[in-house]
Amino acid sequence: MPSQAQILPGTLDLLILKAVSLGPLHGYGVLLRIEQISQGALLVEQGALYPALFRLVRQGLLKASWGTSENNRRAKFYELTSAGRKRLRQEADGWNRLAAAIASALSTQPEEV
Amino acid sequence: MSLLASLRSVVSTLLRRRRNENDLDEELRAHVQNRADDLERSGLTRHEAERRARIEFGAHQKFKEECREALGGHLIQVLLQDTRYALRILGRTPLITAVALLSLALGIGANTAIFSLIDTVMLRLLPVRQPEELVQILRNDPSRAVSATASFTNPLWEQVRDHQEVFSGTFAWSDSQFNLAQGGAVRYVSGIYASGDFFNTLGVRPAAGRLFSDVDDQRGCPATTVLSYGFWQEHFGGEPSAIGSTLPLNNHTFQVIGVSAPGFYGVDVGRKFDVAVPVCAASFFDGKESRLDHRSWWWLSIMGRIKPGLSTEQLKARLAVLAPQVFAAAVPQDWDVNGQQRFRKRTLVAVPAATGTSYMRKEFSQPLYILMSVVGLVLLIACANIASLMLARAAARRKEFAVRKALGASRPRLIRQLLTECLLLSTAGALLGVLYARWGTALLVRYISTASNKVFLDLSLDWRILGFTAAVAVLTGLLFGILPALRSTRVSLTSAMKGGSQCQGSERRGRFRPGKWIVASQVALSLVLLVASGLFLHSFFKLVTLDLGFDRRDVLLVNANLKSAELPPARQNLVFDDIESRLAAIPGVVAVGRSVRTPVSNFEWNQHIQADSPDAPKGDDALVFFNFISPGYFPTLRTPLLEGRNFDSRDTESSVRVVIVNQTFVRKFFPHSPALGQFVRTDDSPGKRAPAIQIVGIVRDSKYESLREESYSQAFFPASQIPEAADAENFELRAERIPSDLISAIQDASRQVNKGISLDFHSLAAQVDDSLVQDRLLATLSTFFGGLALLLAMIGLYGALSYLVTMRRAEFGVRMALGAKPASILSLVMKDVAVVLGGGVIAGALISLLTVRFLQKMLFGLTAHDPVTMVAAIGLLSAAAFLAGYLPARRAMRVDPMVALRYE
Repeated sequence: MPSQAQILPGTLDLLILKAVSLGPLHGYGVLLRIEQISQGALLVEQGALYPALFRLVRQGLLKASWGTSENNRRAKFYELTSAGRKRLRQEADGWNRLAAAIASALSTQPEEV
Repeated sequence: MSLLASLRSVVSTLLRRRRNENDLDEELRAHVQNRADDLERSGLTRHEAERRARIEFGAHQKFKEECREALGGHLIQVLLQDTRYALRILGRTPLITAVALLSLALGIGANTAIFSLIDTVMLRLLPVRQPEELVQILRNDPSRAVSATASFTNPLWEQVRDHQEVFSGTFAWSDSQFNLAQGGAVRYVSGIYASGDFFNTLGVRPAAGRLFSDVDDQRGCPATTVLSYGFWQEHFGGEPSAIGSTLPLNNHTFQVIGVSAPGFYGVDVGRKFDVAVPVCAASFFDGKESRLDHRSWWWLSIMGRIKPGLSTEQLKARLAVLAPQVFAAAVPQDWDVNGQQRFRKRTLVAVPAATGTSYMRKEFSQPLYILMSVVGLVLLIACANIASLMLARAAARRKEFAVRKALGASRPRLIRQLLTECLLLSTAGALLGVLYARWGTALLVRYISTASNKVFLDLSLDWRILGFTAAVAVLTGLLFGILPALRSTRVSLTSAMKGGSQCQGSERRGRFRPGKWIVASQVALSLVLLVASGLFLHSFFKLVTLDLGFDRRDVLLVNANLKSAELPPARQNLVFDDIESRLAAIPGVVAVGRSVRTPVSNFEWNQHIQADSPDAPKGDDALVFFNFISPGYFPTLRTPLLEGRNFDSRDTESSVRVVIVNQTFVRKFFPHSPALGQFVRTDDSPGKRAPAIQIVGIVRDSKYESLREESYSQAFFPASQIPEAADAENFELRAERIPSDLISAIQDASRQVNKGISLDFHSLAAQVDDSLVQDRLLATLSTFFGGLALLLAMIGLYGALSYLVTMRRAEFGVRMALGAKPASILSLVMKDVAVVLGGGVIAGALISLLTVRFLQKMLFGLTAHDPVTMVAAIGLLSAAAFLAGYLPARRAMRVDPMVALRYE
């Protein structure tokens, strides 16, 4: 198992949006998808997922509907709304800019100052 | 969002709640199942897989709660949940809840009661059209340093009415009372003289018939009257036939033309009118010199409604122009030149009158503010009590809080829960309190109402009173709730879970500390209240035991009015003499006297006296207070004659003018020479030299109009030498015991003389008592609330110590097992009492010393820093505190070491 990192506060929403943008998922599916797309590097506290999902639904970024899961259980599936898609784009851009800036700051060599 | 829409969303959230709850459960369950499936696939047993899945999921309840929060509509659910839970908790300890509720109801109720009086007397707008446009017009004499006065003569009023152009309407009115009975015992109704525009300008509408207009109020008007709605209901049963019927007022027949709208009681707050008559009707009741034309008969008050858009500055400027013209046209012709000149220079002032006028504001505002502070303190003390109750109970619930925290309740959530309990308590207390305040306010109004001054207040609730009570309720709830809520939710999970109900050594002392603070502050506040009530009580006691210079006991006062008997003035004295001798013959009557005025009444008659003495005072010092009496007056009132003789049959209308003076008169006018036999005279009236009057007797000083007055110079003249016959005189009857048929015997005697004589009965003792309304109000109420505060402080101390003793039972057990004597355990506990008491008393004494000077004006015969009162209050408080502390201390003394240790 690769070494795991706690996710930064505030980034859980972004990860959920990204995970759901790849196709409708139920709660447990979101968890698995995040593990999968981060190659197991990001650890999500399982219970904490649900308050975040409920919040995103309330904000109109996700919509939820009941359906049947692959193993024939009744499950609630989440998918992205158009507002959610827009938000994902914004947050991803923001995150990339921030990451690039920090990376560039950290890679600065003494002679460049 | 509109109100309706948000309401709908709340309702639908509540309806959806159960479904949401099920969905949430199902979703989380599905998660755990899915996870367990995966784990099972990796080789675990099903049972182990489910266990692991649950552990991995984390704090299930906590996340559920967070989901509910994220779902919205949450607050209301929480509130309902908290309320339900709070009710259950409160119901579990019914005794504590009842005590808390009762003290809150008492505290909040008392505050509401006093505040509604303040609101009604001082703050409430008149129930008329746009009251903020109303102003009262006052007259001011720039040459004298006195404040503006409200009274006007009718000629002045007519000038203002006819020449002003700043008001869209003006009106004048005057309070009066009218006798409904025709001869015999009087039946007074309260009335007003109202000018033609009175109702119109105020915007009061008729409930039946019509109200006055200009045509009803002109010289020579017919006798018409408008009834108040209340009087119409009371006296005519609300019958429409009342309109057009007649009503005898002061023996004159008036025709009822209408009824004013309900809820309108006049513009004087503190009284109401039953009947209104036009100003012009005064001519029916006056003799040949009617007050309609009298230029120094000050009896009317004036109000006006400012024209819209007129600024205060403009109003002031226009009144300044109007005043000289008004006063010049109504100069009293019989005044001297100087007086007339000053009269012309008087000015008119307008003051806002949206709240009407009231004599009560001057008389009762200070007592009311004092009482407001008193009941505020009582409420604070009650709050402190409930806070310690809550603290003790919260300590007992530590385990519960720990469990709830472990299950995922956040600290804010627990605090909110505790505060909900407190607010629920205080709201319930406030509701009870409002009921109790309704009753209390009515009682207070009856209490300040006297025979000569019936107080009427419209005590209907308004938004201000309800808002005040609501604010007090919330504040109280927070006040007694916040400290226990903060303290008790700061539990460490492990210590609470393992420690049981007894706490660990290090926490023990700390836990009583806030309790100690609370009790000490209760002691301090109670001391402040006790000192205040002690001062009022002491002052009141001084007033009632004061030597008045006459004996007020067993004296009946009978006011006899000859007005409606229509006798020629020359016969009036004979008729009064006749009645006096008949009254003296009634069995049971010991002595009878007669006088124009009675002691300690509002009626005042004073004039300047000149004496041929080198030391005779001048100016205001020469003012002497008059009375005209029969020879029976002094013996009946038991005022001793010190020198000279009493009046007798020698003193007639035609004999030498004589006078009996009091000690103060002698001290002021004849400090160095004998006064007896000297001559004095009153100021000359225009064109007539006043006759010389010989001093024939000297009596002891007595009170003239108030118990608080310094002694006045007084002069008593024989009733037979009265310059102008009075319509009404008073008889003083001393009876050994007041026989039940005395009044009817007096009525019979008077009827035998003349059927038209009206009689009014009072007792002298009651008349004196009535002059002490304020003092009695303050003394009674502050004593009541001081006692209440003492009781609350005792309960607080008792509760705090009982709690302490319970907490330290094990310690006491150990001490006793090791050989401590019960007495030393007792002193251990009493030392705590002494510390709390000492701290509280010092703080309370300091606060008292700093604040009592505000009470000085209300006190009689002692300073606000009266040491006797302070020492007595401290003594009483200490005795009460040790009593309250002794009961739990005795319990500590009787701790059985074995039982205590086993319990641990």
